[in-house]
Amino acid sequence: MKKGILYINQFFGQIGGEEQADFEPVIREGLVGPATALDEALDDVTITHTIICGDNYMGSHTEEALRRISGFLQDKDFDIFFAGPAFRAGRYGIACGNVCQMVQEQFKVPVVTSMNDENPGVEMFRQKIYILKGGKSAADMRKDIKAMAQLGQKLAKGEPIGAAQDEGYFGRGERHQTVMDPPIPAADRVVDMLLKKLNNQPFQSELPIPKPDRVPIAPAVKDLSKATIAFVTSGGIVPKDNPDRIQSASATKWGRYNISQYKDRLPAGEYKTIHAGYDPAAANEDPNRIFPLDALRAYEREGKFGKLHDYYYATVGTGTTQGEAARMGREIAQHLHEGNVDAVILVST
Amino acid sequence: MRLEIGNFPVKDIRFGDQTSYHQGILTINKEEALAVVYEDDHIIDADLVIARPGESVRITPVKEAIEPRCKVSGGVMFPGMTNDLVRAGQGRTHALKGMSLTVVGKHWGGFQDGVIDMSGPGAVHSYYSQLINLCLVGDTDEEFERHEQQKKNRALRWAGHRLAEYLAKCVEHLTPEEIEVYDLPPITQRSPEVMALPGVVYVMQLDSQMEEMGYNALVYGWDSNRMLPTFMHPNEVLDGAIVSGSFMPSSSKFSTYDHQNNPTIKRLYQEHGKTINFLGVIMSNLNVRLEEKTRSALFVAQIASTLGAQGAIVAEEGYGNPDADFIQCIVELEKAGVKTVGITNECTGRDGRSQPLVALDPRADAIVSTGNVSELLDLPPMDKVIGELESIARDGNSGGWAESVRPDGSIIIEDNAMFCGDMICGFSTKTVKEY
Repeated sequence: MKKGILYINQFFGQIGGEEQADFEPVIREGLVGPATALDEALDDVTITHTIICGDNYMGSHTEEALRRISGFLQDKDFDIFFAGPAFRAGRYGIACGNVCQMVQEQFKVPVVTSMNDENPGVEMFRQKIYILKGGKSAADMRKDIKAMAQLGQKLAKGEPIGAAQDEGYFGRGERHQTVMDPPIPAADRVVDMLLKKLNNQPFQSELPIPKPDRVPIAPAVKDLSKATIAFVTSGGIVPKDNPDRIQSASATKWGRYNISQYKDRLPAGEYKTIHAGYDPAAANEDPNRIFPLDALRAYEREGKFGKLHDYYYATVGTGTTQGEAARMGREIAQHLHEGNVDAVILVST
Repeated sequence: MRLEIGNFPVKDIRFGDQTSYHQGILTINKEEALAVVYEDDHIIDADLVIARPGESVRITPVKEAIEPRCKVSGGVMFPGMTNDLVRAGQGRTHALKGMSLTVVGKHWGGFQDGVIDMSGPGAVHSYYSQLINLCLVGDTDEEFERHEQQKKNRALRWAGHRLAEYLAKCVEHLTPEEIEVYDLPPITQRSPEVMALPGVVYVMQLDSQMEEMGYNALVYGWDSNRMLPTFMHPNEVLDGAIVSGSFMPSSSKFSTYDHQNNPTIKRLYQEHGKTINFLGVIMSNLNVRLEEKTRSALFVAQIASTLGAQGAIVAEEGYGNPDADFIQCIVELEKAGVKTVGITNECTGRDGRSQPLVALDPRADAIVSTGNVSELLDLPPMDKVIGELESIARDGNSGGWAESVRPDGSIIIEDNAMFCGDMICGFSTKTVKEY
């Protein structure tokens, strides 16, 4: 018999509602809340423990919460790890994603969670872990638990996992070949698809092409000499202690740092790169190589443009998903608007 | 144009005194057959070896596959290649079915050569595991390319085509078990009922990316690198006018057998007069220079529009750089108002996360995917190897590398190495899905 462990939040862990959202992580032997239904739905896996943590606590003390949960698991023997289902609950979804990712990386054990497609946790974690397509609310608990049990059982036993559309999880961005069942020759598929297209009937391409998301080029700044210019980089230049804990790859966070006190250049030693996608030596020796504050200040003095915005913005652009990048861009743009910035220099590495 | 193909199903192959066909048994006089191979002085060693479906046999390096056929109504096979230039695609052709004359290097392989497993998990990755393979295993004195990764394989390929025609000659005067008829009248002389159906063209982008002559697919013996897209009758493709080249990773190729039996053409024939008006084939190519890619795409769109096509299928014999030709051709057809479906394979990388085609365009909204060249295949040892296993690791096979062949005879390769393995001609039962 294989063994599994389930992670749930304070609400499903029967600790309490929003007033208990700061509840610190605990591990309980046996079954709490949805663990009972999950255990029943599993044939060859038994749930041995339930971990419970408040959504706020996980959201505001993520590293500490994950550290403690990792500690709980050090002496446990388990073949599969479950979290949720999280339905549409955003904080809960992100918590399930964070816990699953940590367990998968540290314990090399397969993980399964479930979320609704509108849960922000889906886009944050779908590339890394199996997230089943779940219902909107706890009314779908039984169905979602059953799906988690089915996929989890296969994973625990090391059985092959089918394609996303067949198994019901969010695609992880991996495309692989598979023999069709039934084995329909491509000649028939291509002619059938053409007939549908000719007859204006719906058809499904086997190689869906993502819609290009092109941003039109902004009109030129009319009078650069009066313009406030801001600098945004995905090159990972941050204050040396990385105060916002921006990830070195697959970033989901960005930082905003005041540079008004630096009149000539960004001081080496005070700033560094945390970007894991390129050799940091040159950037750390002189961070102006990535964020050319020295050149920008020179232009500012020459009057080429009016003023450099007091803050620069930074994140890490390696492995970062398009969805996350777009969200961070929108958030940064909001700040730039509020700061009356006229134009932005956006720099990759 | 009307073509009849008389079928002689081959249930087994034996060696004997006289090359003959009787009740499904093909008997071959080996000495006489090899004499046809040795007509070319460049062949220094040749043998014939039989591999049957289900056997524990691995065949590599496979260079070409041909269905043995001969003309019985005048004419020749492979005009412009092994024979004089005459028109193909009309009259009567006799064919030995259920078998392939499979051309194999005795030692030396290369980038473009492939693997066939007659059983086990690799069998599904080559159509040829289902056929009886009469393997022509040979070596040549083509010293200039012996240690080259890219090989023209000229002597062996031409020998294969001569031998295929020689074998089929034994059924020239026999009565076939069944006759397939491919009859498609001139496009302006079809009944009003047929003319009312949407006109459809099949666009074939032949592998033609080598600038030097001798590697690319041939159209009536003409190197497809040196041509502009042209309009052809589908019967010409089925009847030996198109001969496979010796370039491009193997799983993305169309063998000559694939052309002779192209299942997409056959299915379009079935639909003709029922759901579509099958206008014919636009024979195009895959180019290196952007201007050449554009010129071919514009020509294809022009021919399709001039013919009044409302629908098109575009098949790409390749991947990587030629994806640009493929997508551009689809885009130009769509711009011309021709509803188009593409058929190709993908290259998604070892982790499956790379962009599947080099070029993408939202107008290519209908694509059938026949396989993934970068999929890793770990295949168990086979009791017998026809050819030389080490060639996969040694000779620059597009799906192999130095560690691909293990001491126990098992191999780890990319799908790239499987002989015509992604079956873009339409045989493929594979697809690519997101995981």
